[in-house]
Amino acid sequence: MSDARSEVLLEARDVTVRFGGLVAVNAVSTRFHAGELVGIIGPNGAGKTTFFNAISGVVEPTAGRLVARGRDLTGQGPHRYAAHGLARTFQTPRVFADMPVLANIEFGLKFAGRRRRRYWLWGDEQGVPWALRDAPGILRLIGLGEQAELPAGAVTPAQQRLLEIGMALATRPRVLLLDEVAAGLTEAELEEMAWLIRRLRDELDLAVVWIEHAVTTLLRHVERVIVMHQGRVIADGAPSEVVRNAEVIEAYLGDEMLDEDEGARRGSVAGAPGGPPAGEPARGEPRP
Amino acid sequence: MNSRQLLIRDALVLFGLTGWALSLPYYGSEFAVSMALTCLMYVALSSSWGLFCGSTRYLSLATSAFFGIGAYTSALMLERIGWTESILLGAAIATAVAVAMGAAVLHLRGTYFAVLTFGMTELIRHAISYFEKSVTGTVGRVLAVVPERDTIYLTVLVLAAGTVALSIAVRRTRFGLALMGIGADEQRAQTLGVNTRRVKLAGFAMTAAVAGAMGAAVSVRWTYIDPHTVFNPFIGFQTVLIALIGGPVTLWGPLIAAVVFSLLAETLRLQAPQVYMMSLGMLLILSVLYLPGGLASLRWVTLRQWRDDTRAWWRERRYEWSGEKEREKRRARERRLV
Repeated sequence: MSDARSEVLLEARDVTVRFGGLVAVNAVSTRFHAGELVGIIGPNGAGKTTFFNAISGVVEPTAGRLVARGRDLTGQGPHRYAAHGLARTFQTPRVFADMPVLANIEFGLKFAGRRRRRYWLWGDEQGVPWALRDAPGILRLIGLGEQAELPAGAVTPAQQRLLEIGMALATRPRVLLLDEVAAGLTEAELEEMAWLIRRLRDELDLAVVWIEHAVTTLLRHVERVIVMHQGRVIADGAPSEVVRNAEVIEAYLGDEMLDEDEGARRGSVAGAPGGPPAGEPARGEPRP
Repeated sequence: MNSRQLLIRDALVLFGLTGWALSLPYYGSEFAVSMALTCLMYVALSSSWGLFCGSTRYLSLATSAFFGIGAYTSALMLERIGWTESILLGAAIATAVAVAMGAAVLHLRGTYFAVLTFGMTELIRHAISYFEKSVTGTVGRVLAVVPERDTIYLTVLVLAAGTVALSIAVRRTRFGLALMGIGADEQRAQTLGVNTRRVKLAGFAMTAAVAGAMGAAVSVRWTYIDPHTVFNPFIGFQTVLIALIGGPVTLWGPLIAAVVFSLLAETLRLQAPQVYMMSLGMLLILSVLYLPGGLASLRWVTLRQWRDDTRAWWRERRYEWSGEKEREKRRARERRLV
């Protein structure tokens, strides 16, 4: 479970989103702490993305409250959420295709990422991590330094997903909301993405909330997982506990998934967080 | 060219054009001056339209509403307050109307926004017609005291040059970047921290201010105004058309297209009004099909591409007409049989 001492960056209190008669998100309450990597899983239509839309201000919750670092943001526009350190990516990469990659990053820096300078005209911006200092720095952080001058529409889909993360980082966030950033990536790219996300979390002390359908990979990397089903949270805890939860198995994972995942988890204990991905065990091998 | 060099180039071009336009009344004929006035009016209207609607892709058809509001303001107030004051007042009232209108319809996109702005323009036009008929008991208004021609020309020139300068300046600010972001992906811009509501309102109000000021300045040329001439939807359509043909996102596109338009309008409208309207339509179709970026996006490369495409097409036709294509096909068929 999350460390009780670390700062609560975002708190959702009974967040409910209704679309007409459909209850997409049903009274979800949770807290995200600094330095926490949380996965959200659930079958299609479970309300994961709608929950994301609610906690990033894109959709106004029908009921419930959203509190970011003690400040109630319920009912305000997405730009207020961005200004209070909540950055998100979208399921399909939404980059400014006509602008160069570098300009895409600068966009975030000029709006939600803007901080007061210590001295007028020069001097550092206040309270900004060194890695997020400027646009080229952010590009290096996500590994797109080579593509800086290309139009964002011209880079590969995998790079566009990275760029989306970069744009989110450019708002200098405290909470990073990733909506299926690894969808459509190959196994190797997926693993690389997971390590990038862990590295970002460690270096920037972010709370990262990650929705992903690639459950086995997700469960290997996160410390806490929330399982949603039909708009409700049916489990919330460490991956090893969650995969044993009877309701989760019934609703989503299935027995087969449990077996495969357990094998993967046992192997990944060796690779401590922050280490290189070299020591990853081969997954899907038959158990002895 | 880097951004600083671009700024210098744009400023120099604007300076040169302004100087040239400034000297026109001293050597040009009455006809040339009147043509230049129309041209400058559309330069201002479509540049300011492009500044907001081009970059955010919110297609507004309300230009004629703001223009008409400005025109009526100056018609009513010119005798009481001064020339400059009445223009400023026209701009201010148009801005206020735009803020109210924008607050109501700027959350809509695409067709709905276009139709509603058009509907509101018609509403304002008919409201003023009704007011004139039932309260003041007139159809239109005669402007008894009008400034001299040179004063009007100078004012319109200042407004047009000011609008282009504004357009140059806004493109380089955060505000301009926010407008571009809204045009590219509004929700993404919002999640990156743009207060889209406020930015859109400000942009719309800016467009309206220019149209209002222009209406106040130009209408005095007509000496008699009624709601159907100053709220003429054609003013709004023509503004949109000019901006689209010139390239709504570009800086110089609206200006280039406005010049082309006023030349076309003045040369063709009197002799052959139908031809004028038809050539407008043709220009729009051609530019949308073959030059989506507008006239300002035309480069030598584009022309060369067109030439090569035409040549290739022509070669293909000759190949077909010579009968060689058919023979090639037959030979290929026979080879397959063997």
